[in-house]
Amino acid sequence: TSTAPLTGYIPAHLPIFVCFRLTGNEPLSILPLNSLPEESVGRAHYKLCDRLKLEKKQRRMCRRDPGVAETLREAITMSAQECQYQFRFERWNCTLEGRHRANMLKRGFKETAFLYAISSAGLTHAMAKACSAGRMERCTCDEAPDLENRKAWQWGGCGDNLKYANKFVKDFLGKRSNKDLRAHVDMHNTNVGLKVIKAGVETTCKCHGVSGSCTIRTCWRQLKPFHEVGKQLKQRYETSVKVGSSTNEQAPPLLQLNEQIPRTMNLLHIEDSPSFCRPSKYSSGTAARKCYKDKNCDAICCGRGHNTQSREVTRPCQCQVRWCCYVECKQCTQREEVYTCKG
Amino acid sequence: MAGAIIENMSTKKLVIVGVILLLFQAFAFMVGGLIAPSPTTAVHYLAIKCVDTVKHRQEAKWFMPWGPNQCDKIRSFDEASAKMIEANNIVFAVHIPLPDKEMSPWFQFMLVILQFDIAFKMYNQIEDGAMVTVDVGVAYRDDTVSEWTEMAHSYEQRKLNCNFTTSKTFENEGRYYECDLLPFMEVGSVAHKYYLLNIRLPVNERKKINVGIGEIKDVRLVGIHQNGGFTKVWFAMKTFLTPSILIIMIWYWRRITLMTRPPVLLEKVIFALGISMTFINIPVEWFSIGFNWTWMLLFGDIRQGIFYSMLLSFWIIFCGEHLMDQTERNRFSVYWKQVGPIVFGSFCLFIFDMCERGVQLTNPFYSIWASDVGTELAMAFIIVAGICACLYFLFLCFMVFQVFRNISGKRTSLPAMSKARRLHYEGLIFSWKEFTLCACPSIFVQVNEGHWHWGEHTVQVNSAFFTGIYGMWNLYVFAIMFLYAPSHKRYGDDQSRDAAANSGEDIQLTTTITHVDGPTEIYKMTGKEAQE
Repeated sequence: TSTAPLTGYIPAHLPIFVCFRLTGNEPLSILPLNSLPEESVGRAHYKLCDRLKLEKKQRRMCRRDPGVAETLREAITMSAQECQYQFRFERWNCTLEGRHRANMLKRGFKETAFLYAISSAGLTHAMAKACSAGRMERCTCDEAPDLENRKAWQWGGCGDNLKYANKFVKDFLGKRSNKDLRAHVDMHNTNVGLKVIKAGVETTCKCHGVSGSCTIRTCWRQLKPFHEVGKQLKQRYETSVKVGSSTNEQAPPLLQLNEQIPRTMNLLHIEDSPSFCRPSKYSSGTAARKCYKDKNCDAICCGRGHNTQSREVTRPCQCQVRWCCYVECKQCTQREEVYTCKG
Repeated sequence: MAGAIIENMSTKKLVIVGVILLLFQAFAFMVGGLIAPSPTTAVHYLAIKCVDTVKHRQEAKWFMPWGPNQCDKIRSFDEASAKMIEANNIVFAVHIPLPDKEMSPWFQFMLVILQFDIAFKMYNQIEDGAMVTVDVGVAYRDDTVSEWTEMAHSYEQRKLNCNFTTSKTFENEGRYYECDLLPFMEVGSVAHKYYLLNIRLPVNERKKINVGIGEIKDVRLVGIHQNGGFTKVWFAMKTFLTPSILIIMIWYWRRITLMTRPPVLLEKVIFALGISMTFINIPVEWFSIGFNWTWMLLFGDIRQGIFYSMLLSFWIIFCGEHLMDQTERNRFSVYWKQVGPIVFGSFCLFIFDMCERGVQLTNPFYSIWASDVGTELAMAFIIVAGICACLYFLFLCFMVFQVFRNISGKRTSLPAMSKARRLHYEGLIFSWKEFTLCACPSIFVQVNEGHWHWGEHTVQVNSAFFTGIYGMWNLYVFAIMFLYAPSHKRYGDDQSRDAAANSGEDIQLTTTITHVDGPTEIYKMTGKEAQE
């Protein structure tokens, strides 16, 4: 745990972004383990769990079920992709390259808040999905020992996977006894992620009574696509509320802390974000970033102006596609202007 | 001529009977609410994408999504295109149930709903009226090691009803369409422990099969089955109720045969109502635990259909026999106009049910709603049945109105008499209200949370309503058979009393109406009050 000695609290809250050196583009190549055939699994997931930078309790939870490690990785990929999608027009484009991310997580920016929220949301989403894919050994009905489980399932079915996912994530990210403001804010933002997932649950029903009438109806809860969650979190990022003051670094008493953190569904941040214009600890700057003229070039390039390049682009067109795995397109050549920020 | 028990019973006894019935009713609700779990469970399944590597295989091979001998999986279709895998080689595999669990005959039925996650792509949009063709097979086994045995295999078409809520621009690529649920499979018995579904979406450009269905990201299924606990409670209830109704039925019929006159129409109808109730009650479902009877679902529908049409006929005849006009009734043929719509309506529903659940006996993937012709046909049946229901309702309302008019018309000549009768009609209306009040919440309540927390207890509202309403109908039939059975109190002298009490106009009626005529306790009581 490289960052743990420095700050003391980050790894616990953010296993997701801390544990992998993840760029978002190559997440699958990081772990060659997944190409191993499952027969040899046995304890193979132990290795995977050990490779992740997890806390003791988290490692235990990871080892308990072979599906957890895989789900964690999927959650990271999903959150990272969504983050990059949501921030594609912003100065900070969610670069998750190791050093930048670690530094970012140590601070209390709006962006940090977003990262915390989307990672917890992503984990819940991925966990619910893993449950329904049968990837997890223990999903619902997990409280009781095996025999009781079977009885519970036969008697009354098991609770929905959503409830389990929520419980798991709450457990996994855990409550920390850290008394300082930032830990509280991070916790709050993590919970916002969970709440957004919860609020985005849709109830769908099916009637199957006599002749298909609605005398008997079964309803189930269904998660919205993760894109929706990302969109909502982005909105909350924009309305993020600043709390406390970053100048007062000494931990104030707990009572005061609770007063400082409003009961809100908004994301919270402690300090103002840097401009992200120039290369810094937190980002590589916006030099050479592609931008859209008349749309965000002025904002992204921080007033440094942009280069215009005119080039021929070949784009696929008049495609013939199948639902899976086959696209045959003509190549159409177009002249296109590409705008990049000046350094 | 004998009056019914309800007329010869003292008020005190009536109240006692009422209270006992109410207690049983409360008990029926409590059995469902406190003992039984929720009636059904919905389980989510996400299909695993397997790759069928060997081409032109002879025997069917089954692909397992997890566990030992699992298939070669791909995570996403991007991976598939990189590996040059074709659409025809991708198999969506779903194992029911999830790991570490097993299905049981107590689950009674299983229905599966299909949902596609389709991402929006500018150059690969869902075409209007797109049909998706699925090549689906379902297999079962009863232990975790043996081979899979095929249960059914079919090519099915389903209409994709999807819409994209945001604007169709490049920026929104990758967002999902919102698609309607597709009915997928319905099995009337769960005789095996493990089920495996293998779904393919074959592409044939020439025949336009599965072309223009967008970019499918995932296939999700929702499996619904009845909960084992609920089934047990339900069976217990049925097993308890069958003899109760049977005994009262025998007792009722014995009383009728003891009389010197042949039974009148209303008595026969009440008896028929008892028979149809018993028909529902008989717990033949016990056999579904041991035998693989897939027709149980259809059989249940038929039984319910018979009971409800019997009940509706009973109400009409009950009203008709209380019409105080001079017409001679007491024949079933008189009521053909009112009973006709009931019979025709239920016949329509029966045909519809046969088309849906009947065909599902041979092909569990069949759905009448899948094809346009089928949908129109189904809608036609349902609309005709609806029209019949409206007609029936109009007739019934008209009859109730007539009854009231007649009563008020005769009030001047027979003040006390009409009062007594009106009480009966009020009883009828009460039972109507009871019906509507109890039938509506059963639909309404399920919209809300399935359970309430009440202190430490969790009350399963849905289950409570199912057992409550089932209990209610049983009690209703029980009460009617008990209260309208001929009384043999004062067997000899009531003929003269009737004659003495009624005016000449009503003597005609006594030949047809056995139970309302004659001074009842209530009438006597109200009469006394009037005197005072």
